Amino acid sequence: MILSLYGAWQKNCGGAFPPKFKAPRQVWVSNMDTVEEEKLGLIDLHPEVFAERPRVDIIHENVRWQQLYRHVSYANTKMRYEVRGGGKKPRQQKGSGRSRHGSIRSPIWRGGGIVHGPRSPTPYFYMLGFNTRLNGLRSTLSAKLAQDDLHIVDSLDIPTDDPSYLEKLVEERGWGPAVLFVDDNDIMPLNITAASDSHGHYNLMPVYGLNVYSMLKHHTLVLTLAAVERLEERLLFHLNRNDAASAGQKYKLDSV
Amino acid sequence: MASVAARSFVFRQQMNTRRFDFASCLNIKSFYSSYSANPKEKSPENYTQYHEVSSDNWKFVERLKPPTVVPSFPKNGSCFSDWTPPPDTPPNLPYFVKRTKNFMVPVYLNFEAVRNQRKITMVKHIEGDIWALEKAIKSHLEEVTKRQVVSQVHEVAMYIKFRGDYVLHVKKWLLNAGF
Repeated sequence: MILSLYGAWQKNCGGAFPPKFKAPRQVWVSNMDTVEEEKLGLIDLHPEVFAERPRVDIIHENVRWQQLYRHVSYANTKMRYEVRGGGKKPRQQKGSGRSRHGSIRSPIWRGGGIVHGPRSPTPYFYMLGFNTRLNGLRSTLSAKLAQDDLHIVDSLDIPTDDPSYLEKLVEERGWGPAVLFVDDNDIMPLNITAASDSHGHYNLMPVYGLNVYSMLKHHTLVLTLAAVERLEERLLFHLNRNDAASAGQKYKLDSV
Repeated sequence: MASVAARSFVFRQQMNTRRFDFASCLNIKSFYSSYSANPKEKSPENYTQYHEVSSDNWKFVERLKPPTVVPSFPKNGSCFSDWTPPPDTPPNLPYFVKRTKNFMVPVYLNFEAVRNQRKITMVKHIEGDIWALEKAIKSHLEEVTKRQVVSQVHEVAMYIKFRGDYVLHVKKWLLNAGF
């Protein structure tokens, strides 16, 4: 049984022939019913999504963005007008023979205010460009596939809700310590939800939550067939759309 | 006394009529605080008529909306512009230059450096042996312009840059090569 998604390619390429050096990647489809791996068939993966030259700089930019955009710094220092005291002129301007001052809390004084210190709360929100985010996903998926860390399964239905079943399965197949299971639906089957609940390193995720940071954090990425189809359809749509600029309009900041 | 009363009566009448006209042409809308206080819907003959249109007419609306994905180019028929469609099969060369999503040849003119602006011709979407492509284009440009051409090959991002404005020459060469 060979399942081919070539039809999706043709539809999304607008009729142009596939490029010469980008052949579709063929991947086995496994099962989750038994601990031992049973190969159910072959599937073609679209090279524009899964066979892109991995751009490490773009992956790094994505990871940095994912960590920083939600970061708020709560560090705070007081300015000269916030430090307690310092309203009165310490001594008269002339006559004492000492230097002139207006306030005991000026920045040149010990215990005075800090001029350019951190001011709480400071947001570090910024929006990475549309194509950078898109290419980050493509690069990471391609890298995962090239490094044998990407596996396709037919569905996430497992026979028991025993946590040790998942452990044995992952151990048997040589999947990494941390595994990210991705399905199209956001309500996962009961058994796998119960089995992975006690393990912090087996995580379930819907396709819309797929991101570069999570893919790098987990050693192995396991996609269902439905997830692959959805992922390819969405990424190819975004690659072939002309109105990507409007997608990022609402995140535009007034100041840099 | 009577005349004064008559005049005031007449004046009041005029005032009343004028006030009535003014109010009627203003047509102030009232908004009630609860549903039950609002005037209820009347029977259909109090409102304007409408008639249903067939849903086939939606195509007139749809053709006004811009397409979300780039549509395919027409396979037959000539285009009255310079544009030629990409051929059905790729040429037998060790490299390949893919068309953009709008089926254009990916050659761009950049202006780099802040002062003493440099014109840079950039070729993107390259696959395969990039050095062989660079050699081929460079030799062609040097033949055409009869001067040395400086180039940069970026192997990670897969683009080539030539110093100078050779956009038309490069585009022509790529189209002749069959990309």
